[in-house]
Amino acid sequence: MLLRIKKLNKSFVVPVLKNLDFELHEGEVHALLGSNGAGKSTLCNIISGIHTADSGSFEYCGLPYTPNSLQAAEALGICMVMQELNLFPTLSVAENLYFRSMSDRFGIVQHQAIQRRAKKALQTVGLNYIDPAQPLSQLGVGQQQLVEIASVLQRPIRLLILDEPTSALTGPQIDLLFEQIIQLKKQGIGVIYISHRMDEISRIADRVSILRDGELVATKAVADISTDRMVQLMAGDESTSIDMKESIDQSHLPNNSILLKVENLTRRTKNQSGGDSGFENISFNLNAGEVLGIGGLIGSGRTELLRAIFGADQAHKGCIRLASDGFKTRRIMKSPADAISHGIGMLVEDRKSQGLLLSHSVSKNISFAILDSLNKKLGVVDQSAEQDLAESMSKKLSIQCDSMQQPISLLSGGNQQKALLARWLAIDFSILLLDEPSRGVDARAKNQIQALIRELAAMGKAILIVSSETQELLKVSDRIAVMSNGRLAGIFKTTELSEEKLLEASFCFYSSEDNQSKLANARI
Amino acid sequence: MLRIRYNRNLIFGLLLTAVLSACGSEKEAEDESSTPKSQPVRVALIMKSLANEYFINMMEGAKAHQLENAEKYELIVNGTKNESDLAQQVSLVEQMMAAQVDILVLAPVNSKGMLPVVKRAIDQGIVVVNIDNRFDQDLLQQMGMSVPFVGPADRAGAKLVGQEVAKYLKAGDEVAIIGGLPGAYNAQQRQAGFEDAMAESGLNIISIQSADWESAKSATVAAAMLSEKPNLKALLCSNDSMALGAVAAVRQAGRTGDVLVVGFDNLSAANDLVQSGELLATIDQHGDELAVYGIEYALQILHSGIIPENIITPVDLIVAK
Amino acid sequence: MPESKLKSRIQLPWNSLGLVAVLIVLIIFFGTMSEYFFSAVTFRTLVNQIPALTVIAVGMTFVLLIAGIDLSVGSVMALCAAVMGILVIDHQAPIAVALIGALLMGLACGTANGFVSAKWRIPSFVVTLGMLEIARGGAYLVTNSETKYLGDSVGFIGSPIAGLGVSAALIAAILVVIIAQWVLSKTLFGRYMIAIGTNEEAVRLSGVNPLFWKVLVFALAGLLAGLGGIFQLSYLQSADPNSGIGLELAAIAAVVIGGTSLSGGRGSVVNSFLGVLIIAVMQAGLAQLGVSEPSKRIITGMVIIAAVLFDQFREPLGRFFQRK
Repeated sequence: MLLRIKKLNKSFVVPVLKNLDFELHEGEVHALLGSNGAGKSTLCNIISGIHTADSGSFEYCGLPYTPNSLQAAEALGICMVMQELNLFPTLSVAENLYFRSMSDRFGIVQHQAIQRRAKKALQTVGLNYIDPAQPLSQLGVGQQQLVEIASVLQRPIRLLILDEPTSALTGPQIDLLFEQIIQLKKQGIGVIYISHRMDEISRIADRVSILRDGELVATKAVADISTDRMVQLMAGDESTSIDMKESIDQSHLPNNSILLKVENLTRRTKNQSGGDSGFENISFNLNAGEVLGIGGLIGSGRTELLRAIFGADQAHKGCIRLASDGFKTRRIMKSPADAISHGIGMLVEDRKSQGLLLSHSVSKNISFAILDSLNKKLGVVDQSAEQDLAESMSKKLSIQCDSMQQPISLLSGGNQQKALLARWLAIDFSILLLDEPSRGVDARAKNQIQALIRELAAMGKAILIVSSETQELLKVSDRIAVMSNGRLAGIFKTTELSEEKLLEASFCFYSSEDNQSKLANARI
Repeated sequence: MLRIRYNRNLIFGLLLTAVLSACGSEKEAEDESSTPKSQPVRVALIMKSLANEYFINMMEGAKAHQLENAEKYELIVNGTKNESDLAQQVSLVEQMMAAQVDILVLAPVNSKGMLPVVKRAIDQGIVVVNIDNRFDQDLLQQMGMSVPFVGPADRAGAKLVGQEVAKYLKAGDEVAIIGGLPGAYNAQQRQAGFEDAMAESGLNIISIQSADWESAKSATVAAAMLSEKPNLKALLCSNDSMALGAVAAVRQAGRTGDVLVVGFDNLSAANDLVQSGELLATIDQHGDELAVYGIEYALQILHSGIIPENIITPVDLIVAK
Repeated sequence: MPESKLKSRIQLPWNSLGLVAVLIVLIIFFGTMSEYFFSAVTFRTLVNQIPALTVIAVGMTFVLLIAGIDLSVGSVMALCAAVMGILVIDHQAPIAVALIGALLMGLACGTANGFVSAKWRIPSFVVTLGMLEIARGGAYLVTNSETKYLGDSVGFIGSPIAGLGVSAALIAAILVVIIAQWVLSKTLFGRYMIAIGTNEEAVRLSGVNPLFWKVLVFALAGLLAGLGGIFQLSYLQSADPNSGIGLELAAIAAVVIGGTSLSGGRGSVVNSFLGVLIIAVMQAGLAQLGVSEPSKRIITGMVIIAAVLFDQFREPLGRFFQRK
């Protein structure tokens, strides 16, 4: 037995963990499952010494264990890879990997030595094509996450906690990570694995513990429990799992009701390492009442395309045309304000850095994009109208919070995301662009968001959705446009598309002879 | 809970430290004025920057005098942050008015800007004596006031040090003046004194620039002059702080001995330089006595009610022994 | 719980109460140390000294709220006062024209600050540092480096109103504080300021153009510096090109004591005003005690740091006091 916790209690103002028992064997991958706020992160934070428990007994490697700081836990071989990246974007990859041991005893950074070591460390997570000397900021989010994992793997560990390690990773990257986890298992290292992706849990975990409202609902061998059952246990009621396939009914789609035409849209930028990023010559039509998914690997230009349509970045060539003027005007959106005035809204990829106003309350976050229409006189915000709006939105999207005046920073990821969605729903939009709408959101909220997307489409809105989760795309989209290396590989009807076919299309523009390096880049 | 208490202690600790240091200063002041409390005369001395040695000397002189005459009066000394903060000096005068002092001895930062508040002080019945830097006489007249002035003979002193320079130069040689804060009466007086001496001996003033009484600014100004005017023979500085800056610039330019520098105030550092020969001469205006003169003078006015003539205190030329 | 209901109705955040407590402690402290401090004259004198710093601190609060900084306020204030002095003395302009001239000058400097820093994404620290020099140079230039004496022609703004004891400038400054607090908490503009200070990119992606609002904030800070110049001018009854040196730091200190975050997104105008009062009370008290200049500065520095520390721990402290 590596770790045994008994009767753990912890409360911040309100109880977060109640009489929780938890066990982890050597060489075991133990998944923690629960909707956001169920107490998974708190449990991990206690194990890794960030928080201290109110009461409860701990035994680690057969000895009593009282974790009181991150450093103390790490000295005992307990390491955690957090959901939020804990890296320094302007430092090099190697410096990030060896942040605490990069200098000699005189404080001089040993560039040569750490770069040599970094090369090897990067190989373990399949980033062997990355130059350790390049700044971390030049890497994609997924690659950065792998760097963080690599950095943890360098330390002497006996217990590893992975908090949603795959949320930014592509399929092949996940495969590589799992290979590493299997290696760790063979060495007798215990792994606590948090994820919202059921398929991953069935694939990698030996046992799963399901938490709900700070209590342990069940601990089961993964082989003995179905994913549907897991969701049911997590949600606490039996009916939350909605089969979306059934709810997609395409018969309501009006014919030829195009809302948006994208023509040869191009935005190419050189990143600092000299590689291309962006997209070129993208053309498609978007219909009213349709959900158009955009698939492809991370870095294939999906987010960039959405941002260009929304005017967050300006497109270089091509144009978009809108139904509002009979497709007469060739447009390039100059700013988000421009796009919004034409009825286009966008839910951004990284809600913390680009969407949320963390110092504002829930209601102020919801009303923010339409504040000028809540203007009474002299620029005074009509606070009762604002309150009404926020309350009706939170009811509609079932946002869980104590009050509309609560700071949004205190909400769980899923509820924050719903509040941001509400910000756009408050606007009278006809086209909504969604970039990773369910990232970092618990399974229940994810279901709700997906149901909402279908509902909006049924109301005649046109929706463009980017998601790294193939399952999600297949679930909510009517059609899927697959991007590959900045180009459009094809647009498919969801009913005619399988996961394999989608993946194949995703890779199609990476495989030309002169693009060997990009192939490697994309595969990993 | 433990954490919270710790924080409270920390803050209280800081406040306590602040309180204690204030108490320390207060006690000091009380010790000096341990007089029988039969309404002693309260004197406020307000000076310019207490970062300047000249005013520190002035303050020390006044404090020493008060100790000797503890039965006669109490003393409150205040100074501004820098030599040009008019608003701060005005507010200091107002605070002294609120503290109901009987006498205000003032070295104004600004010879015009201080007048409105001085007028109010006089109206309140406070005896005001102007020391060091003289009020603007035209404006004083215009406002219908007369404030006695106790100050050094700035113009005569500057002329004296100018004449010392002239001894080493011949007619037609080029010299430059580094002046004090524009608009300050003593800056104008000293500049005029330099000009008197130069005109007398036929020396040629090729540049007059201000360095705001400050050493660092003076070094910059002097360095520029030295590179632009290769025939420059002397730098006449309106105070010693600026003379120190000018000496540094001359040293940097490698022209020590070639370019003469003179100052004004006889700061200890300047005195050292005079003895070593890098500074030709300076003027001792007996700053430590200046405030004392002012205070005695004011006490005299308070007791007699008669406003006498201005007093011009003597100045001495300081050269290497 | 009727008590908590009352608290929420007054809507005074507890850290305002904390600042008021600090203020009271200071006043009691100086009152016991100096026999003359605790008098109406002292307080009247004290409050009539603060209008300029108050309005400038209001502008600074807004600038810090959007995560900017304005180092030029002291110089801009001197320049505006100088412009007004010149208009009155050298051009015999009517006072109203001179007032407008000073305000326009401030507005122009502030707009330039805002436009250059927001449009070309140059840190406002750098731009306003440049403006600090430019405006100071301008002040010397227009006055010929001389102090312009205006006398009673403008004194009516800064002199105490008979029977009331406080000056028109003070009343105006308090009005500015009230209006600014109202703008901050009730209007669109206030909402946008806090949002820009919190997450500018999120604001842009919500379809609001941050450029306009940022320029507006700096323009307002400039305008308020101009107003401060007018107050200062009428208080001193002269236009001194050397006035306001280091005033930007006093304003930042007041705002920070008031709990406004230097990294933007959090702040309160009323608390900044309390910060101004704390600084003014300290200066007045220390002057009356005749504390030496070095000790004065050490004490002022410690109070600033203590206030920020206090703010840092205001939440645990708040819980502590509420529990009581």
